[in-house]
Amino acid sequence: MSPSKIPVDAILSKLAEDVEKSQDRMMKSQDVLLGPLDTAIATTPYDVVYEEDRVKLKHYRPAKEIQIKTPLLMVYALINRETMLDLQPGRSVVQNFLNEGIDLYMIDWGFPTRKDRYLTIDDHVSGYINNIVDFIRERHGAPKINLMGICMGGSFSVMYSSLFPDKVKNLITTVTPTNFDTDKGLLHVWMKTINADRMIDTYGNMPGDLLNMGFLLLNPARLMIDKYIGFFENMDNRQFVENFIRMEKWIFDSPDVPGETFRQFVNDCYKKNLLIHSKMQLDGKIIDLKKIQMPLMNIYGRYDHLVPPEACELLTKKVGTKDTEDICLDTGHIGIYVSSKTQKELTPRIFRWLKERDQAETPNKIKTAKRTSKRTAKAAEKSKSAPTGKKRTEGVKKRATAGG
Amino acid sequence: MTVKDNEWSWPSSLLNAWTQATADFWATASQEWSAGFPGLSGNFGPAAGDAQSRTQEQWQAALKMWQTISSSFSSPEATEALLKGMQTWPEISSKLIRTIWEGYSHLHQHWLRKLGRLGETTEAYKFENLDQEIFKTWQELYQKEIQPYLQAPQLGLTRFYQERANDAVDKFHLYQAAVGEFIHMLHLPMEKSVRVVYEKIEELAKEGQLSEDFKEYYNIWIKVLEGHYMTLFKSPDYLQCLAQTLNAANEFKMARHRLLIDMLQPLPLPTNREMDELYKELYLLKKRVRELEQNTGEKG
Repeated sequence: MSPSKIPVDAILSKLAEDVEKSQDRMMKSQDVLLGPLDTAIATTPYDVVYEEDRVKLKHYRPAKEIQIKTPLLMVYALINRETMLDLQPGRSVVQNFLNEGIDLYMIDWGFPTRKDRYLTIDDHVSGYINNIVDFIRERHGAPKINLMGICMGGSFSVMYSSLFPDKVKNLITTVTPTNFDTDKGLLHVWMKTINADRMIDTYGNMPGDLLNMGFLLLNPARLMIDKYIGFFENMDNRQFVENFIRMEKWIFDSPDVPGETFRQFVNDCYKKNLLIHSKMQLDGKIIDLKKIQMPLMNIYGRYDHLVPPEACELLTKKVGTKDTEDICLDTGHIGIYVSSKTQKELTPRIFRWLKERDQAETPNKIKTAKRTSKRTAKAAEKSKSAPTGKKRTEGVKKRATAGG
Repeated sequence: MTVKDNEWSWPSSLLNAWTQATADFWATASQEWSAGFPGLSGNFGPAAGDAQSRTQEQWQAALKMWQTISSSFSSPEATEALLKGMQTWPEISSKLIRTIWEGYSHLHQHWLRKLGRLGETTEAYKFENLDQEIFKTWQELYQKEIQPYLQAPQLGLTRFYQERANDAVDKFHLYQAAVGEFIHMLHLPMEKSVRVVYEKIEELAKEGQLSEDFKEYYNIWIKVLEGHYMTLFKSPDYLQCLAQTLNAANEFKMARHRLLIDMLQPLPLPTNREMDELYKELYLLKKRVRELEQNTGEKG
């Protein structure tokens, strides 16, 4: 047996070189880390045009002339925050939509407190989302709006479109779990084992930090080790550090999830998989996917480890409409929104798809139920009177900083 | 007389003498107290207040009680019974110590066996039938020997408070044990991945393809580690451990919460339970108001 030829000298020499480089990098990184850094997220200007309890509706100021008459409402998940869609200039889904000429609204779910623990999925879907949709319809004099859901927000959008099909013109779902009976994603495997009832009885709301811990444990090698090794190797690069901190800000800015909503989502969706079989009920109302008759665009990531393609792709086969399109992008759960490469593909495709379907609607007088919340009416009044006032702009800046 | 009898004859007589002396002391004390306070004999003067007489009566009763108890202890039968009780106490304590020691010894032996196995081959990407015996052994010992003390029924006015305190201690221990097992499980891929990387480096060395760049070895390791975690996370053992840890955390949190509620009682602060009840009422009321407004709006 020939002895192993281990180039110990060469390895040690390279190691010494690396250590020297690291020291040099550490020295330079002090200038970067201790100097001014631009790490603000969600900086695209918007106005809060509607408020109800903790929920706010953001209306982004158009960047150019509106190209699609029907406004688009984006519904983010209750897990983490919608700021991910506007992470940084140049890598912002929000900005890209505005640059295409889309009239854009987005729901900010806010931070649930203990008093929100009894809010169910129905309170979010038939309550907040429906009130917001009515508000936008009334504001634009449009009978329908375009709806785009992200992750859990996509599941909510599917439920909404089934319950209120007359109010949705086009439905776009992105990385949206609807078929939960798969063991491709660890989340799907784990959710089946946890006792959601006991968790909620214990915590009230599902703590955001606990959820974050769970997400980190999905891939500790990458998310808890390799990621920070990468940071260490680039900490003298100001741009890298700024982008890294932005992402850290977003990841760990996690609101709690209202208890009853979490309980129902785990039990009815992850454990019983009721949604895809049109058996799920919200306050006694069946979510029949066949009632989804509007065009549907379903986008998901091939390498999504949280919501794998198997959890998304069944939807288009189960809905009532024939105008469906499945798009599987070569990216992961977050990459779909923040990867520069994917962004060049994502928003232009959505824009083209919406444009093709944006037929002129006669702006009928919308018959909506009389607004029930006094706050709603007040917010609407405010938005009409001073949608882009100076006071509001200042407020927006403040919020953006605080949110970051 | 046997040696054994001899051994036990002297403490018996000693105890007899001591109890007799105690009885005499209380008798004398009672007499002197009565002499010092004439009222104690029952001849209270008109100047003596009611409060003073009640105090004196209580003192007298207490002294008489101690005298009676001391006298009863000084009887040979009582001394014998007391001695028997004293003889059994070392047996109880030694049994307790022996049981704990045996459990610890078992645990220790298990650690030694485990240490001996450290050099053995650890099979990569296999997480079935994990060696969790060390945790099970401790759990069994705890559940058998310590937990019953914490779960023993409590008596008296504060029994519920004491039970809740014991419950919190019990749940804290179970939570710690579950977390320990969980962390141990998370450590396993580290152990296994290092071995795999070592084997890979050996292969590369044989082929003469070793890299000078340390980063390449790191990249191999992180990839192997990722693979190991993916395999572990889907294993039934991990899923069971995860569920158990979460349940233990929940149980402990609830037990701690109940204990804190007790502690907060004297303070003018609402508890979570009270606030939750209020929130629920508020939630239902808001829902009802919304429905009513909707109905009114539609009709109007």
